[in-house]
Amino acid sequence: MSAVLELTGVETGYGEVQVLWGVSMQVEQGKMTTLVGANGAGKTTTMRAIMGVVHPWKGTVRFQGQDVTNLSAHDKAQLGLVLVPEGRQLFSDMTIEENLAMGAYSKRARQSLDANLKKVYQFFPRLEERKKQKAGTLSGGEQQMLAVGRGLMADPLVLMIDELSLGLAPVLAQGLFATLKQLKDAGMTIFLVEQNVYLALALSDYAYVLAEGRVKIEGPSHEVAHNDEVREAYLGI
Amino acid sequence: MVEILSSVMDGLLIGLVYGLAAIGLTLIFGVMDVVNLAHGAIIALGMFFLYLFFGAGLHPYLALLPVAVLGFIFGVIVYQIAVRKIISGPPLMSLLATFAVSMIIIGVGTALWSTSPYNINFKVTTYNFFGYTVTSARLVSAVAAVLVTFGLYYFLYRTVLGKAVRAVANNREAAELMGIPSQQILAITFGIGTMLAMLSGALIATLFPFTILSGGVYELKSFVASVLGGLGNPTGALFGGIILGLIEGSVAPFIQVSWTNVIEFVIFVGILLFFPTGLFGGRK
Ligand SMILES: Nc1ncnc2c1ncn2[C@@H]1O[C@H](COP(=O)(O)OP(=O)(O)OP(=O)(O)O)[C@@H](O)[C@H]1O
Ligand SMILES: [Mg+2]
Repeated sequence: MSAVLELTGVETGYGEVQVLWGVSMQVEQGKMTTLVGANGAGKTTTMRAIMGVVHPWKGTVRFQGQDVTNLSAHDKAQLGLVLVPEGRQLFSDMTIEENLAMGAYSKRARQSLDANLKKVYQFFPRLEERKKQKAGTLSGGEQQMLAVGRGLMADPLVLMIDELSLGLAPVLAQGLFATLKQLKDAGMTIFLVEQNVYLALALSDYAYVLAEGRVKIEGPSHEVAHNDEVREAYLGI
Repeated sequence: MVEILSSVMDGLLIGLVYGLAAIGLTLIFGVMDVVNLAHGAIIALGMFFLYLFFGAGLHPYLALLPVAVLGFIFGVIVYQIAVRKIISGPPLMSLLATFAVSMIIIGVGTALWSTSPYNINFKVTTYNFFGYTVTSARLVSAVAAVLVTFGLYYFLYRTVLGKAVRAVANNREAAELMGIPSQQILAITFGIGTMLAMLSGALIATLFPFTILSGGVYELKSFVASVLGGLGNPTGALFGGIILGLIEGSVAPFIQVSWTNVIEFVIFVGILLFFPTGLFGGRK
């Protein structure tokens, strides 16, 4: 199998404080990979290091075989590496419609803007009903739909999502997971950070467990789900 | 009575031009949290750019076009050299950087043109409406200010690039993640803010004599108008400018001109104390 996204020995942190200590991961083409771990383990930092929002101090990030470690976030987005960031980070003073349009800012996404918009409205009809509403006035669930929708508008080759279900009612979370499943079945590569370890492991193909900035456990998701340590620490079984 | 009304009308017309200057200031603040202390010097530079093109034989209103283009380019260059590096640093850094730019402009300007007054001498028609006399220069400057403001709104709300400016203002990091080159957008925004300041300077130059130091007064007016309208809010800044102009117009028949500054700053402090987000709410 070929890894479309590959981290090798990535180290980084904030100021003097090191958070990641030699993280290596591979995200396979067409698969759903998940990254789980306790609060503060460094999951978000890993995502941010991949995008270059925080710069890796050491190690490399390769995307489609190309070394993209030192590219800026917008260059990576232009290449099709797209992150739906933790905390939604919507353009709160702009309408749903405008948020989605901004998702499609990159050259490659602009070409398929209409098709993607149709797809997003199909997944989330509520976004279409409220397209003139300001993002900042949406409910939490609607905001999450918009965040995912905006990510899809970027026409990702690899879609990374940091905390898909955080703060959502279980029904809504499952709805979003079902959407992800459809996307994956349609061939999209997905890299997911998720608090709901049970759901994440059930749906994904491969999993990494991060602890204190290091990959502690990795393997096919069903195996990781049966790992005693994981069951005890994250699944509470 | 007619005299007072005339004065108020004059105030309204010049207030629109103040508003345009204030929009330049508030746009830059709203998008990148930079208080541009070079604003006044840039306004003065706009006056002299107009003077140069006028001297080269262009009609002042035609000369507004090259002044706008130069203003944009100048702003982008200032951003790249003086602002870009310190944009994420503490606010004091950008204050110092733009202050330095201001000193440089005024220094070079003084060397080139000294501090003696210049004016744009062109044919101005005077109209009379029921006893209110107004010059074509005043009318045109007000109309131009309104048109440029409409243009800015069209850009910000109807074009992809303009929406990207608003996206970067909202959330720079999210904009980057969506493939928007935020540094480029910030440079463009600084260019537009500078362009608006220069245009307002050029319009003022068609009305009054000016020196390289004239910008200071208008910088202060821009601050007052921006704060009146809520910092970061372009519409608010326009209305802030109109309010300033109206105040000037209505007090002018009764007191000495030098008192208008005092009144404006009393209002400024009052707004800061009682309406810290302005009369129209801050940001967009
Ligand atoms: N901007 C920042 N400045 C300084 N330290 C930070 C910053 N962001 C995160 N950290 C620290 O880095 C460590 C890892 O944080 P990170 O956000 O990557 O964890 P996480 O695994 O995503 O946690 P959570 O599950 O709570 O989202 C934490 O100790 C956190 O305090
Ligand atoms: Mg996190």
